[in-house]
Amino acid sequence: MSYEFPSDLKYTTSHEWVNLHDSIATVGITDYAQHQLGDIVFVELPTIGMVLEKESNAGEIESVKAVGELLMPLSGEIVEINEQLAESPELVNSSPFGDGWMIKIKISHAIEIDELISVERYKELVKSEEE
Amino acid sequence: MKSNITLIFEKGIDEELQNYIPEIDIEVADLKEIIPQALLRNDIPIPNVPEIEIVRHFVKLSHKNYGVDTGIYPLGSCTMKYNPKIGESVERLPGFSQIHPLQEENQGSIELLYNISKFLGEITGMDWFTLQPAAGAHGELAGLLIMKKYFEHKGIKKEKIVVPDSAHGTNPASAKMAGFSIIELKSNEQGEVPLDHLEYAMQGGDVAGIMLTNPNTLGIFDRHIKEITQIVHNNGGLCYYDGANLNPMLGICRPRDMGFDIVHLNLHKTFATPHGGGGPGSGPIGVINDLSPFLPEPCIISTENGLVCKESTDKSIGRIKSFWGNFGVIVRAYAYILALGAEGLLRVGKIAVLNANYLRILLQQKYKLPYNRICQHEFVISDKNMPNNITTEDIAKRILDYGIYAPTIYFPLIIQGALMIEPTETESKESLDYFVEIMNKIYEEAKENPELLKSAPHNLPVKRLDAVLAARKPVLHD
Amino acid sequence: MDFVPHDRKTIAEMLRVIGVADIEELFQDIPKDLIKEKLDLPTGLSEPDLFRHMEEISRKNKIYSSSFLGAGCYYHYIPSLVDFVISRSEFYTSYTPYQAEASQGYLQAIYEYQTMISRLTQMDIANASMYDGSTALAEAAIMTTLITNKKSIFMLEGIHPEYIEVVKTYCWGQNISIEITTEDKLLNQLNEDVAALLFQSPNFFGDIEDISKLVKYVREKAPNCLLVQVMTDPTCLGVIKPPGLTDIDIFVAEGQSFGISPSFGGPGLGIFTAKKKYLRKMPGRLVGKTKEINGTREGFILTLQAREQHIRREKASSNICTNQALCSLAALVYLLAMGRTGLKGIATQNFQKAHYLKSKIEKIPGYKILNTKPTYNEFLVNCSSIDSLIYQCKQRNLLPPLKISKYYPQMKNTALVCITEMNSKDSIETFIQAAQAALNNKAEG
Repeated sequence: MSYEFPSDLKYTTSHEWVNLHDSIATVGITDYAQHQLGDIVFVELPTIGMVLEKESNAGEIESVKAVGELLMPLSGEIVEINEQLAESPELVNSSPFGDGWMIKIKISHAIEIDELISVERYKELVKSEEE
Repeated sequence: MKSNITLIFEKGIDEELQNYIPEIDIEVADLKEIIPQALLRNDIPIPNVPEIEIVRHFVKLSHKNYGVDTGIYPLGSCTMKYNPKIGESVERLPGFSQIHPLQEENQGSIELLYNISKFLGEITGMDWFTLQPAAGAHGELAGLLIMKKYFEHKGIKKEKIVVPDSAHGTNPASAKMAGFSIIELKSNEQGEVPLDHLEYAMQGGDVAGIMLTNPNTLGIFDRHIKEITQIVHNNGGLCYYDGANLNPMLGICRPRDMGFDIVHLNLHKTFATPHGGGGPGSGPIGVINDLSPFLPEPCIISTENGLVCKESTDKSIGRIKSFWGNFGVIVRAYAYILALGAEGLLRVGKIAVLNANYLRILLQQKYKLPYNRICQHEFVISDKNMPNNITTEDIAKRILDYGIYAPTIYFPLIIQGALMIEPTETESKESLDYFVEIMNKIYEEAKENPELLKSAPHNLPVKRLDAVLAARKPVLHD
Repeated sequence: MDFVPHDRKTIAEMLRVIGVADIEELFQDIPKDLIKEKLDLPTGLSEPDLFRHMEEISRKNKIYSSSFLGAGCYYHYIPSLVDFVISRSEFYTSYTPYQAEASQGYLQAIYEYQTMISRLTQMDIANASMYDGSTALAEAAIMTTLITNKKSIFMLEGIHPEYIEVVKTYCWGQNISIEITTEDKLLNQLNEDVAALLFQSPNFFGDIEDISKLVKYVREKAPNCLLVQVMTDPTCLGVIKPPGLTDIDIFVAEGQSFGISPSFGGPGLGIFTAKKKYLRKMPGRLVGKTKEINGTREGFILTLQAREQHIRREKASSNICTNQALCSLAALVYLLAMGRTGLKGIATQNFQKAHYLKSKIEKIPGYKILNTKPTYNEFLVNCSSIDSLIYQCKQRNLLPPLKISKYYPQMKNTALVCITEMNSKDSIETFIQAAQAALNNKAEG
């Protein structure tokens, strides 16, 4: 199986991707993650204004046969959520790195950025999980 | 475009049908005198349907359904064995079906509940039973609450339950409902619980116990079961037995002897009570003596005054259901035990295991069995290495085309594309041979004509249905 | 009796195919000291002997000619249609409809059941069933704590005492605190930390609560608090305003009155409904309508399974798996047979007969009806000697009303009387005779 691994993004070991721009991080789940889940039927996202810690639960991604957790890659305040996913959860499947984005965080602890993993390391992680 | 479906609501007529209401034989007051206008409803949007239309509707629906009486129903871990018809006759005896749970003259029911407790005690080796739980999962909840109360009573804080990764989903869900968190143990290469990991998990000191089914959901009897229960006991924990897989063990091996402290049974599985559509069931739990004070009430005991309810204590976890339990289900299970007797029950386990291994040996010639060793009542096939990327779902849908029900799919989770097969002891050799024949045919089709499987089923009232649409845009009623 | 369809020759042949000498070899994984191979149980019976034995046991239960006992389990007329449908073995010997395409019959029936319940209650969504009214209420309580993230619930007095016990047990499992309160005390106690107010109407004592007043109060005082109503005899919905029209968030009921025999209290039927917005936190199975992936035909399928235990495991809001499906099929057939006319007729008769009986009882000196609110088919009667009344009823082959002190020891000499459309004028007159006799013959009680 070949998955997309955009090289301009950072990743987590729990299959989230992060796009950093100043102090705002846009977050979604990876192509590998959406493939594991199958057709997405529902996405539960946090409310704007919520302040959440790194690695805490920020939402759930439901398919017909599984539920995945969206974990905060970095601590911070939720400043935007992708409202389109309410009507069109399938965007996560068709465009996991684009229109399927999930939340935008105003980062509170910039030092946590160092703990995100590179695209190379993420590719290795996926490879080892597949075996 | 007219739909292929006719809902019963379309069969209503404008007539005021009153076939099932007795004639009023007293002087009546107008409803408005009895109850304030503001409390009344205006209409009930429910049709009046003539009896013949109701009958034809459901007869037609029954033709679009499949039961054990239709053919083999090899759902793994569900023990879909034949439901003896005598069970239906006895359950409908007025002396059982017309009895109110709160009436005092109930010695027949009490005696039946007490007797079956004794029988289940003999089968499992447990000392005390409650028949209250309405299903296996309900029994699990009760059992876990008993564990919780037991430790609370001792003043010890225990917050975790150990569960193998092959466990049925109700196990961790029940643990959570009882306020515990889970430690999941990864099964080893033999499909069994790794003793060193268990030892490590127990050393934390905060584990209330372990939940296991044995044989497990791979159909394998864990050879180290006594060591497992010993490790848990040595570390101050309790052992819970999920009785869903008890069928092959009837009369051969008892959970008590394996070292379990609490056991639930699924009367609707092992004891052949019908549960069409998904229920009703009954999930009695048995416990060792030390845990009996914590059982939910009521609990029937034998005294010099006859059979009475055990006195209420504050050690009990309390009630988990109204009244006595699913009595109508228990009556059938009781009749089943009496019908089979000791020798019949012993035969159940032996033939269940014979039938499962017969299928296993024949199917492993073509299909991949991740644990291809002697199994107990069930075994698991994987879709790994199926030709042309055929999945378990494809296989299952094609099985339906041949007029039989597909086995359990995608469980246990630890096998890729699991297809879990449990024939039970009531399938004949012809029935099993037919199952093998179509499985072999399907394998050939997977090689030569995979599209046939990918687009199956073809021979049913509908083709493969869109589960994604159903979840994205739920339509739950008309 | 033996249901194994093999003869000895077949077994030998199968052993040969497997490659073992005898069946015992198939148990080689079991440690030798665990193998028991013996059961200390009676020898199996043939069908006639079994039937005779079961009949003998059943005769030790008394069947009365008429009943005045309710308290959570009710005698209503069950049309013959019901047994006919649930006895079709394609229905009753099936299981959970995992393979939708081969289970369209049962799936459609469950969908129709969900529709029927939704229409009857006017609630947005109904699930495929819970175990019974008491566990439905307990799971509703837990559901409200998941929705609101609060760990405290209030219960109004008047909920069936056994239901209160069950809710307490379930809530204890999850450290949810419970406060049992009255309508008066509620004024001062309700606050923003409460997940839900649970109440029963008609309640255990027979009273139909002033629901609009309760709802108004709760919505004003604690807008995030959910309202949960439970009903033990939902036949009253044939006449009274349904919960969907009174702003109830979650409505649950015991569905035994819909075509299920009393059967000593089980199996019953847990009816579970809620507002649409709570759909994803709802426990239990749900059947949805959908289409073929590659076609235009409609069909039915188990849906939103990602809520349930087999997918979510320890993250599931409920552990329920096996439910009361066959009982929900019975309820569907009952409600269809009755239709809107029948349901209204039955509910009306229950109201009228209770009203009539109350007026007769009130005329007997020494008897007092305690309810001040309107009632459905149950009410409280205070008498000079409840034991005498019970005795006199039994003498006349009437199943006596409930002695309330069973649950409320402080309420002495009080009976919970139940009357339904099954009570004829004769049975009512006999009951009145019993009541009068109880006054005169106190010594016999």
